[in-house]
Amino acid sequence: MSVVELRDVTREHGQVHALRGVSLEVSAGELVAVMGPSGSGKSTLLNLAGGLDRPTSGVVTIEGEDLSRVKDVAAIRRNRVGYVFQDLNLIPSLTAAENVMLPRELDGVRAGRARPEALAVLAEVGVEEIADRFPEELSGGQRQRVAIARALVGERRLLLADEPTGALDTATGDEILELLRARCDAGAAVLLVTHEPRYAAWADRVIYLRDGLIAETGAVRLESAR
Amino acid sequence: MSIRLSLLALLSSGPRYGYQLRVEFEASTGATWPLNIGQVYTTLSRLERDGLVEPVGADEQGRVVHTITEAGREELARWFSTPVAQTDRPRDELAIKVAMAVAGGVDVAEVIHTQRMATMRALQELTRAKRSAAGGLAQRLVLDSLIFKAEAEQRWLDHCEAVSKEKNR
Ligand SMILES: Nc1ncnc2c1ncn2[C@@H]1O[C@H](COP(=O)(O)OP(=O)(O)OP(=O)(O)O)[C@@H](O)[C@H]1O
Ligand SMILES: [Mg+2]
Repeated sequence: MSVVELRDVTREHGQVHALRGVSLEVSAGELVAVMGPSGSGKSTLLNLAGGLDRPTSGVVTIEGEDLSRVKDVAAIRRNRVGYVFQDLNLIPSLTAAENVMLPRELDGVRAGRARPEALAVLAEVGVEEIADRFPEELSGGQRQRVAIARALVGERRLLLADEPTGALDTATGDEILELLRARCDAGAAVLLVTHEPRYAAWADRVIYLRDGLIAETGAVRLESAR
Repeated sequence: MSIRLSLLALLSSGPRYGYQLRVEFEASTGATWPLNIGQVYTTLSRLERDGLVEPVGADEQGRVVHTITEAGREELARWFSTPVAQTDRPRDELAIKVAMAVAGGVDVAEVIHTQRMATMRALQELTRAKRSAAGGLAQRLVLDSLIFKAEAEQRWLDHCEAVSKEKNR
């Protein structure tokens, strides 16, 4: 079953055609990597897939629900989508654990339950010991893991990650991919933007964006994948 | 190639017979360079001829066990202390192909994209092998080496595409 589907999606910013007609489906348990030069529309694609932005034309559905017809897109976004932003977006005045708890608390989960959940996910990404530190007291790699924990908490069915390996060294980058891959193997759909071929290679499918379009024969599928 | 020296390296931690060398070579290199047993025996007999290994009897099934000699250890130490020269590597067919495509007015973007897909597929397979590799550190590092090389090729292809696009403007 496809968790997210984009059908003939375009996105224009005035004169700029960020996406020119993209169709893409990501199924449960599937990891799809999006590559392409700077400005080719990768972040735009991710924002549309997660309901953070609206297409100029075309349809985006998450688990069968057409986002343009849904009353509360924000609720779908909170309950089903985990997002790792290109610039992380951790809130500086909240500790690591509080940052991870936030999306759950916005869902109405009480702190008494949200905190143990957050600690469990922080442990899963290997940084439970820094739970009570603030973002500025963390290394780049630790911050990246906290941002990923925030996207994982609450068993999201769709994970969208925009360059989640940022400026990490390659061994740490591999660990991040291992985490995403594990979630994917547990049934989540993952859409990963990266400009590093080594990380894209963890995907079942790699697509190339070029000037707002998926490069024609650009779908590289691993024949025996899953 | 360095099969000779690899066998010496394996023998430096103790006497072994041919089949054992093959298994250990493949385990250390993640089966990325399959080695047939014939190659092992030919290499061993050359090493023996050059005085770098010597037979030290046979096991109960009559398989000959070899051990490394002092000269063998010296040869091995020399290998580990010498960097691999760029010129030891074969000419890069891909670079030549792209150069010829440019020179011959072929659609370079197509050549690049075709190669990119193939290289990505290889990279996906290597990554899958790495994920399922139960072997130790040696195996992981060999697979990583191949991954880094494939990645360098992929980056170079991106670069070719960007540069040839600029030139065509
Ligand atoms: N809010 C906006 N207003 C105007 N133009 C925009 C806006 N957001 C994106 N764009 C344009 O849309 C195009 C695609 O941008 P996008 O951020 O999706 O690229 P990208 O592939 O993620 O690039 P990068 O690799 O640099 O992150 C670019 O030309 C960008 O300038
Ligand atoms: Mg971007």
